Amino acid sequence: MRPVFVAGAAVHPFGKHPDLPAAELGYRAVQDLIARTGVAPEQVDTGFGGSTYGGSLLAQRVLQRVGVSGQPVFTVENACASGASAVHLGWQAIAAGTADCVIAFGTENLSAFGGGTLPLTTADLEIDQGMVMPAAYAMRAQRYLHDFGATVDDLTRVSVKNRRNGAANPRAHFQREVSPDDVEQSRPIADPLRLLHCCPNSDGAAAVLLCSEDFAKDLPTARVRMRASVVRSGRFHTSFRDMTWPDITERTAQAAYDVAGIGPADLDLVELHDAFSVAELLHAEALGIADRGQAFKAVAAGDFDRDGRVAVSPSGGLLSRGHPVGATGVTQICEAYWQLTGEAAELQVPGAEVALTHVTGGGIFGVDNGACAVHILTTT
Amino acid sequence: MTTPAIPDARVIGGEWIHRDGDHATLTITKCHNCGSTWFPPRDVCSSCASADTEETTTADHGIAYASTVVRIGPAAFRPPYVLAYVDISDVRVLAHVDALEALPPGTPVTLRVGPIGADENGEFSSYLVAETAGGAR
Ligand SMILES: [Zn+2]
Repeated sequence: MRPVFVAGAAVHPFGKHPDLPAAELGYRAVQDLIARTGVAPEQVDTGFGGSTYGGSLLAQRVLQRVGVSGQPVFTVENACASGASAVHLGWQAIAAGTADCVIAFGTENLSAFGGGTLPLTTADLEIDQGMVMPAAYAMRAQRYLHDFGATVDDLTRVSVKNRRNGAANPRAHFQREVSPDDVEQSRPIADPLRLLHCCPNSDGAAAVLLCSEDFAKDLPTARVRMRASVVRSGRFHTSFRDMTWPDITERTAQAAYDVAGIGPADLDLVELHDAFSVAELLHAEALGIADRGQAFKAVAAGDFDRDGRVAVSPSGGLLSRGHPVGATGVTQICEAYWQLTGEAAELQVPGAEVALTHVTGGGIFGVDNGACAVHILTTT
Repeated sequence: MTTPAIPDARVIGGEWIHRDGDHATLTITKCHNCGSTWFPPRDVCSSCASADTEETTTADHGIAYASTVVRIGPAAFRPPYVLAYVDISDVRVLAHVDALEALPPGTPVTLRVGPIGADENGEFSSYLVAETAGGAR
């Protein structure tokens, strides 16, 4: 396999953009990416666009507006991992030598669905019983607190940390710190989770340029190495499962560590899928950056702060940035790119050289999540 | 004695539910090839793809694995409503709970049929659970 590089990143700020359909948001991010990198349309060998609700031929509708038409172009749907799956397919093409330059993006407009919990469109038995995503994470939270002696205050600490990080991120949906009181006073959603334990539904888009080493040399932008790009699906069964141990995250991360020759102790920062505050605890343990049942103590000790042992979601995470489903995995890679190129401004993790991004989701019954993607990036 | 499954559009999952007096049981699949158990039942095992499977029936009681009160959710289920994952005869089933608060993990529960929501055609039912009177049996 050939080395793969990220040589450009662009994000359309996340937030409420009811008048900007997914294709328009995606176009704006991709146009920004092209302006930053100076890549000409004919240099792009192939394109991948991730979205869950963006509709048919989304990638064509975005890329043809910047002159990328005629080339092979694909729209990728993998729930919350849609955008990261698009990046993964681009990684495959560069690594295999079938492409030298790829645009991968993710985009979503959720305002079209109004307020409340996101529609689950996969029609299954649990949805028929009234399942919603916050309920699934609420039950994981109840069980984690029960099994490991954590408290709701530990969930709240995750929200407070990530909102503090996101307050300095101009691309975040929420750019305001919250206090523990704010979290505790917020509206109850699914016990024990309150509104500020949940990420907002947002609109936004993000794009990255993936390329070979030779191609990167001719670009004006800094490059980082993509050491691993791994996607896994959930293991389906309907018998007992430990809901405090997201095995899909463990399997995906372990494969990525193996490919990269990098372990959890080497990471300077992690952009983690904190769709709900409890998710940071569960996934931090499955990623191996905290011992089993100990992540809540790591958060309380400041281990995951921007200047801690390993910065977790220094961009603010989903809790601050918001979660335009298909865009999330790509924006994590953009944030990691800026960290490793020293362009993260107020978000900068001092001396960041190794970053991991993790996105997982998809509420279908019988699996812990439908799809998970992990990327590992390094400065060299 | 258990009655045949309930073929009623107003009973969610009715084709897999058996009433047993005040209680209920569920049809599940057991795979003879790999030992997996499945709910809802299926012709082919979703672990090993074997068709050497058998339909069997759960107990009418189980143990709550985790539970929550859904306070923001689809109107048809009339929030707030309580959900639980229930471990019963080697399958884990999501069910409504006849309670006002979430069940602590480990709570023994009994399965029955009852209303879980309402739509434009009136109430609809499914299997649901309640804490077993007097604790575990
Ligand atoms: Zn089998």
